[in-house]
Amino acid sequence: MASLSTRRRVLQLLLSALPITGIGMAQRAGALAGRRPSAGQVAPPDSTGQGPGQTVSVLMPAPFADATAPAVQRFNRSHGSLQIAVTRGPLDTEALSDLASSSLLLGESPFDLLLMDISWTARYAAAGWLAPLESLLGEEAMAGLLPAARLGNAFDGHLWRMPLSGDTALLYWRSDLLPRPPRDTAELVAMARELQGQGKVRWGYVWQGRQYEGLSCVVLEVLHAFGAHWWNGQSCRTDLQSPAALEAITWLDDLVRSGISPPGVANFAENDALQLFSAGEAAFLRNWPYAWGLIEQEGGPVSGRVGVTPLVGAAAGSGGGTLGTWGLSLLAGSPRPHAAAEVIRWLTGPEVQRELVLSQGYAPTWQSLYSDAELNASHPLLTVQREALSTALLRPLTPLYAQLSDVLQRQINGLLASDLRPELALARAQRQSDLILRAAGAGQP
Amino acid sequence: MMRILLLCWSLAPLLWQLRTSFLVGDVLVGEQSQPGLSPWTLANYRLVLHGDPSLIQVLLNSTVLGLITTLLTLILALPCAYGLHALRGHLQRSIHAGLVGAALFPTVLLFLSLLQVARSLGLANHLLALSLPYAALSLPFAILLLQAAINDLPPELEDAARLDGLHTLQRLRLIVAPLLTPALASTGLLVFLASWNEYPIALTWLSRSDRLTLPAAMGRIASSSVYTIPYGPYAAATVLGSLPLLLLVLLFQRWIISGLTQGAVKG
Amino acid sequence: MNDQGTMGGKAMPLLLMAPALLLLALIFLWPWLHYGWLSVHASSLLTGLKAVPNGGANWQRLLQDGRFWQDALQTLRFAGLSVLLELGLGLLMALSLHRPSRGRGVLRALMILPWALPGTVMALGWRWILNDPYGPLNGLLQALGGRSYPFLASPGTTWAFTVLADVWKTTPFVAIVLLAGLQSIPRDLEEALRLEGAGSWTLLRRLQWPLLGPYVALAVLFRLAQAFGVFDLIQLLTGGGPAGSTESLALYAYLNAMRFLDFGYSATLMVATFLLVVALSLVWLGWMRWQGARG
Repeated sequence: MASLSTRRRVLQLLLSALPITGIGMAQRAGALAGRRPSAGQVAPPDSTGQGPGQTVSVLMPAPFADATAPAVQRFNRSHGSLQIAVTRGPLDTEALSDLASSSLLLGESPFDLLLMDISWTARYAAAGWLAPLESLLGEEAMAGLLPAARLGNAFDGHLWRMPLSGDTALLYWRSDLLPRPPRDTAELVAMARELQGQGKVRWGYVWQGRQYEGLSCVVLEVLHAFGAHWWNGQSCRTDLQSPAALEAITWLDDLVRSGISPPGVANFAENDALQLFSAGEAAFLRNWPYAWGLIEQEGGPVSGRVGVTPLVGAAAGSGGGTLGTWGLSLLAGSPRPHAAAEVIRWLTGPEVQRELVLSQGYAPTWQSLYSDAELNASHPLLTVQREALSTALLRPLTPLYAQLSDVLQRQINGLLASDLRPELALARAQRQSDLILRAAGAGQP
Repeated sequence: MMRILLLCWSLAPLLWQLRTSFLVGDVLVGEQSQPGLSPWTLANYRLVLHGDPSLIQVLLNSTVLGLITTLLTLILALPCAYGLHALRGHLQRSIHAGLVGAALFPTVLLFLSLLQVARSLGLANHLLALSLPYAALSLPFAILLLQAAINDLPPELEDAARLDGLHTLQRLRLIVAPLLTPALASTGLLVFLASWNEYPIALTWLSRSDRLTLPAAMGRIASSSVYTIPYGPYAAATVLGSLPLLLLVLLFQRWIISGLTQGAVKG
Repeated sequence: MNDQGTMGGKAMPLLLMAPALLLLALIFLWPWLHYGWLSVHASSLLTGLKAVPNGGANWQRLLQDGRFWQDALQTLRFAGLSVLLELGLGLLMALSLHRPSRGRGVLRALMILPWALPGTVMALGWRWILNDPYGPLNGLLQALGGRSYPFLASPGTTWAFTVLADVWKTTPFVAIVLLAGLQSIPRDLEEALRLEGAGSWTLLRRLQWPLLGPYVALAVLFRLAQAFGVFDLIQLLTGGGPAGSTESLALYAYLNAMRFLDFGYSATLMVATFLLVVALSLVWLGWMRWQGARG
């Protein structure tokens, strides 16, 4: 019967991803899958923007739509005239962006708010698709946020987005095999090698090397760990040919060459790495906070024997994980900006975030929540998450980020999967990034 | 034997979708159906018919767009074919060659320009406006087909009509067009099919869910990630979206095929 | 019909053609002027989507863009193999439709059905059929005692399944073109050979295949050009993945426009793809001509 419920979950997942269907169908899909439709997903039929009340429609990836459903439901019950209607978008980040941008490009958007990945901010702002928030939420809207959680929300002097979650990548380590987590990259390698030598684990360190956005995050972290930078905000160019960058990428490449990471890492996404680690086959894992719940819940071989720490650097203070937050943006052209701003304030506010910590383990962005004793007691990861947030790394804040990321992924994945030399991979990535920037008109008015 | 095999090859994937469309979701993901409950269901059909937009709306959009496109294409193509037929020499040959080139051309490469047109002229989400590029994409083939058919008409007919004092437009309307009915029908069918099936331009011109055509609506479902597709409802949509075409093909296969073979022989 | 001069010179024919030709020029010619112009401009998020001259930087980028060259090779691989398989299977289909029999009409109708359906409709159908582990193909594998195989997750093999789906859909088209060719062969020639005791194979080799030449040339030309612009199928079946291993040029151009909002580079890709299609068609036509002159 356990498998029945798993499959039912799979089915619900399948059904929930019907994007054409928008609201009505998601409701029916829920009903069909044997689940009562929650009011959060569905606009009451009589409140579609007419009459005295207003309905603010929000497009979110399916998991967030589910996670916020109770909060939205509560909001709708307590606000008679202002209602939130959530549309469940596709699970896949880029598919969600495609869905949104295809209508925005034509100048029509059926949504007021969009839940955006942090890496979209500059792209959407430069395209003119977003409305600035500072006039609606106030100049001090981000004042209560942890400093790192404020990153990636403003661009070109305006605030475009309020973060709903403050996830950063973390280092998972085997607390049953090691007395303490490594302090730096050299120690990580030494510990991994020793455990491998003793036959306690098959692999030392598993991470994400597939050609996709996850690899860009890994590279961002490794570059920073060795004092290098992907993006130079002053010159608005990539900076991939520094000696430090070479040292960093050589270190990453050597993890595979020396057998600390499996050769298959070049084809790993988050779940592949997590699987190996939670089967007890690896000493260290790089992953997002969501992995914690899965490792602990599954009752697998390493449940209860894992520690979590911020990602380490080559020298003290150079560690840090990529900031991978989601946040709400107001789409330009929304006919109800004030109502939408109120929804932003509520959904990204401490009350909802507190709930999301408890139900989903999403890291909050408000400083006050990190000192909430009750929250810390029920969610022990919070201390680590706060520490990790204090050194969180922002991906290049440029409208062309997606292309630059594509180039870097391609070269580094090529490096991991073949005999390419690190300096060559970096030189190519740098040259192609330069070409992209120049072809796109960088430095032009 | 060969035929059976080929038929299986052509039909098996479709039949599988037919089967899928009637199955309960649990059964699709490998679950044994619960005892006492039938594994068969109409739920997938109900889902797509009552969705937002309803598949009915989607099919209606496709049908309306297809009919307008067909009409527009024929209205433009017939005089053009007649004129091309009357032209002689170098000019005719170059226009003919240009049309062949355009008919062979992979039209997906035009979408960026058309997207800019839609953006700057505000034509997005208008089915009527979409029929303009659609008609243009079908025109080369339609003109070539109709011109070939006009070439096959006996020349005496038109000579006689001319002697009767009919001017060009009258001859086209009263003599040529009626005689071309079969060619117009098979051309029209092919244009309708092409319009019904077009995807990239619909993808860039239509964003409102109540305006989507069948391919664009299907594409919206697909654009979610590889592992998250509602296959049952999708199969139901496939079946409902294919039925009109199945009917069309069964009823008119002779004309469709003759249109294509004419195109192949004369083009 | 022969009506030399029946319309009073060229004015009337041109007038009749004008509306259609104008629309054609607008939709088929203007884009290329536009693309050509756009390809020497930056028109991206950095320029607020306005066109700013960038002195050929798009083309310079194209030459060094690994993704472009990889996609070009992948597209060529896809087009080449699809067309080859469609030709073989299409010939079989044409031959079997050519033989007179009862119910040929229905048979034909059912066989051309895959071609008549929208590409998008079955692209997702294939995704289900190839699903790991619940699709029927994996069901078959498991029933035979094998393990389920992630057909759409391995860069090495996924492209083969995109070819399969394309062959399934467009073989009927090739078959119909070849059928037209078969039917243009005089019956008495076939009868004469048959009387000499020739079997189907001899018939095909000595009579039908040589006479099909122009039809093969046409079918291949058309399919090659279309397959080189493959978009729907790839976008919906694999999305270009895994790791870009099935991405086609048209999909890359589409992503540059719609996802990256880099219209300048997207236009450059369009022009490059167009040039490749033209070059490919010319090579094929040249080869056919050379074959024709030789044989």
